[in-house]
Amino acid sequence: MNDPDKVILLVEDNPDDEALTLRALRRSHLLNPIEVARDGVEALDFLFARGTRAARAGEPLPTLVILDLKLPKLDGLGVLKAIRSEPRTRFLPVVILTSSQEERDLISGYELGANSYVRKPVDFNEFLDAAKVLGIYWLMINQLPPERPAQ
Amino acid sequence: MKISTTGRIITATTLGTIVLIAAMVGWAQAEVSAADLQRLRAGEITRALSNLRLVTFESILHRPERARLQEQQAAAHLDQLLSNGPFAQADPSTSLVALRERAAAAHRLFTELVRPGVDGDVDIVAEQRYLAQLTTRLLLQHQEIANDAFQLADYTRARIDAAQRRLIFVILGGLSLLALTTALAAWLIHGKVLRPLRRIEEGTQEVAAGNLDFRLDFSSNDEIGRMARNFDAMTDALRGSFAQIERSNHELGALNKEMEAFSYSVSHDLRAPLRSMDGFSLSLLEDYSDKLDDEGRDSLVRIRNASQRMGRLIDELLGLARVTRTELKVRQVDLSAMVREIAESLQQRQPERSVQWQIDDGIEVRADRALLHIALQNLLENAWKFTARTEAPVIRVGTVAHDGQPACFVGDNGVGFDMSYADRLFGAFQRMHHESEFPGTGIGLAIVQRIFHRHEAAVWAHSAPGQGATFYFKFRDTHDERPRQGHPAG
Repeated sequence: MNDPDKVILLVEDNPDDEALTLRALRRSHLLNPIEVARDGVEALDFLFARGTRAARAGEPLPTLVILDLKLPKLDGLGVLKAIRSEPRTRFLPVVILTSSQEERDLISGYELGANSYVRKPVDFNEFLDAAKVLGIYWLMINQLPPERPAQ
Repeated sequence: MKISTTGRIITATTLGTIVLIAAMVGWAQAEVSAADLQRLRAGEITRALSNLRLVTFESILHRPERARLQEQQAAAHLDQLLSNGPFAQADPSTSLVALRERAAAAHRLFTELVRPGVDGDVDIVAEQRYLAQLTTRLLLQHQEIANDAFQLADYTRARIDAAQRRLIFVILGGLSLLALTTALAAWLIHGKVLRPLRRIEEGTQEVAAGNLDFRLDFSSNDEIGRMARNFDAMTDALRGSFAQIERSNHELGALNKEMEAFSYSVSHDLRAPLRSMDGFSLSLLEDYSDKLDDEGRDSLVRIRNASQRMGRLIDELLGLARVTRTELKVRQVDLSAMVREIAESLQQRQPERSVQWQIDDGIEVRADRALLHIALQNLLENAWKFTARTEAPVIRVGTVAHDGQPACFVGDNGVGFDMSYADRLFGAFQRMHHESEFPGTGIGLAIVQRIFHRHEAAVWAHSAPGQGATFYFKFRDTHDERPRQGHPAG
């Protein structure tokens, strides 16, 4: 039921959160390959196949980007801005997954074109539920835009 | 010079001028009266003189003894007229002195003329010639005296004229002086009072419009100058105060930013470790359950509960901070409808509970909708929570008169609390019950209080253990459309 070509990019700097998110996604029976970027710059390198991720040139874009907001080097909102300003990644589904429930983060996130905003709950059971719904919705229900959007 | 001093000088000058004019009128009056007396006397002198001449001629022509006596009387009368009365003090008129001398001389001549002659031994012809000579000299003397008398009359007339001229001159001069002082006063009032006043008026308008840099900068040392300096000092002080307020606001803004950064950091960073604790504890429970005994599993459950509780605490603390930071957007809110909506959601969350809601209709308040919702949510959740063990739970929301004004209340018939701890009721982390009995973080009522305080609304509670609790809050203008009813539940 899961297409192994549909890569998920997880942008997360906290190793604990990374492990827990990966665990939650796996527990939701998502078999998609998950790539992890540990800061904002690495995330953009991955998406635009440059720097340490130059080898990715020619590979398709990930199906979904799960983006934390508080990141070293370039924060999540900066990553989102860069994604939305590049024609190729303009329509890439980006889900913000963060601890913050600050109103200004929500507003900036949506302003910059986030597709979804999910708050990481402390209770891991709730987190599992959230990850499951996320996976089902974005990887199975949601219809993605064509690779090269018409100009 | 001070304006009051100037005013006094002008008043003194005016009064002085008026007094001077009055004095001059008085003097002129006296002068005219005196001159008039002299004129009358001059007339009398003239009349006496002509009488003297008459009797003198009669005596010369007919030599009767009666005429000689009459001449003596007339001469004495003339002498009296000349030496007494208005001409007594030998006036500037030299003619008077001459007149007196001539009158005396005339009298001597007359006496000589009428002296009885010595018969026989005197030459008749010589005698006749001598008498004719005397007569001629007497006539000439009389003519001179008449001239002098006319001069005296002329002098008195001249004196009256002079007095009148001087009076006119003084009146004209005084009036000119009065006109001058009036003009000076008008000029001074305009220059020293009206123009500065206009500028002060301008200044007050400028300052009222918010231009605190406006300065009058008057250099004069009079009352208005002092007032202007006080005005400048006042605007300076105002400017200082405003600058101080601005600085304070700036500092407050900085503090607020700092607090926001702090909240942001708390929101992000403090929750992450909790997630790890909860998440990895659950992983252990799920993946290694078979290797753990009951105590191990219980410990992990406790870790998870503690993490989740701390997560809730952090969330509520952030909520408390947000209540303080949020900008108030006050508008008319239908409190009854809001309460009903919250009640419904509570009922939906625990449909197995049966609570009797008594919510009065038509309660409207002016408040920030979002914050009022948070406050009511907390109050109603408390009422809901603390009636959990009550047999027939009732939650009432309505208004009641307090100090002549309506106050809203949320009352229940739940466990209540001991009023002796009421002072701690609204403090953060203050709890009236064990958490094992009734779960909660102890921040809810702190949030409620802060929300009502931000609305400048009073909030207080009344309760007794086992008899429910009622929380009252009073906005400045609670609008209650329904008719007055009984007392709140609880």
